[in-house]
Amino acid sequence: MQGNDHSVVRAVLAGDKEAYGALVRAHSATVFRVAFRITGNEADAEEIVQEAFLRGYQRLESYERRSAFGTWIYRIAVNCALNRVSRPGIEAEYHHGEDTNPEEKTVQVAARDADPERVLLSREISAAQQTAMQRLTPTEKCAFVLRHLEDRTMSEIAEVLEIAPNAAKQAVFRAVQKLRRELAPLRGNA
Amino acid sequence: MKHLTEDEMIELYYGEGTSAANAHLGACRECSRKYAEFSRSLEEIRSAAVPQRSADYGEHVWQTLRSQLIPYEKRMAGWRGWAGWRAAGMTVAFAMLLAAVFLGGRYWERSTTKKANITDSPQATQRVVLVVLTDHLDRTERLLVQLEHSQSPDSAENDQMQSEARELLASNRLYRVTASNTGDAELAGALDRLEGVLAEIANDPNLTAADLKRVRKDMNTKGILFEIRVLQARSQDQGTKGATI
Repeated sequence: MQGNDHSVVRAVLAGDKEAYGALVRAHSATVFRVAFRITGNEADAEEIVQEAFLRGYQRLESYERRSAFGTWIYRIAVNCALNRVSRPGIEAEYHHGEDTNPEEKTVQVAARDADPERVLLSREISAAQQTAMQRLTPTEKCAFVLRHLEDRTMSEIAEVLEIAPNAAKQAVFRAVQKLRRELAPLRGNA
Repeated sequence: MKHLTEDEMIELYYGEGTSAANAHLGACRECSRKYAEFSRSLEEIRSAAVPQRSADYGEHVWQTLRSQLIPYEKRMAGWRGWAGWRAAGMTVAFAMLLAAVFLGGRYWERSTTKKANITDSPQATQRVVLVVLTDHLDRTERLLVQLEHSQSPDSAENDQMQSEARELLASNRLYRVTASNTGDAELAGALDRLEGVLAEIANDPNLTAADLKRVRKDMNTKGILFEIRVLQARSQDQGTKGATI
């Protein structure tokens, strides 16, 4: 795929704008996934997908063929998402468990059975997790999502966020500590 | 016995723990119990449900983007324009060289300094480049000032700003790539930041007052207008120096 992506990039740079469609089709879902996990908002994630591919197109000449296009566009998307969550007021848009379809929009803890009490508790934990995530700084949230949900290594996180590896590690540490502290009272009930 | 810290547990959980920490975990019952509890607390946050996208989601994204993209071959037309400028610069420099040789033959002793000046074709080319770049920065500054002062622009004003931004975006790319190729990292970096702002203005098909407000905020935050003024001063300074050599 990587070699194929490179040839598509060459075609786009040679003037074949339509060829870029193949890259967009191939990587949109991955970009959406990480954008959603960082913003916690479906509409924001969709906007980020478009913004990332638009920026990617505009900067295509600076794309270095050493890395895969998927990695490159992923990095752009994470930065777009980071910018988005860094804007004041954006956090208020983060969806809570009371949403009409909360299973789709929030970090959920799967209920092990259909016990209504358990479902209720599960929703409560989910809402608490959302609140705890909101209290992280944008860098902590991104670093945590990349490490915990996206399984990226510390060095990959450092590269994507353009920070030193140790700073990436510290951001993950702080995020984990804060989340555990925030969620500690609920662990007794779970 | 020194027990595991929370940081060490985090490293272990993500598979980046040291061998000493691993060994301790195997030997210490208390740490083993704490680690099991720690792991459970993190696993609870693991199940994030991302909304499913349909199979044609990528196609949908592409169809939305497609109309906003300018084909690279059109942008390359700018390169031809740039090449034209360079060719014109070289032609002027060559003509000046011929004139210098001619005049030098007649006034050899008196015009040595002048001839040295005129025959320095890279400097002549550089002056042309500086004039073009200064003009570009002037136009960009005017656009950004206009943007900064437009509170709720009407559609005609929007169209005019977008059209100007598109032109500036195309030429900005050329100058940025050239600056980058010639190793002028400072100029290339500034033009790259400027390009982001121009792209936002140029590529948004429905530029609203809110969008403009956001772009203005980005612009102010990044101090791009200030950066342009510094660059203008720098290019004018270089132009002056070039003229006096």
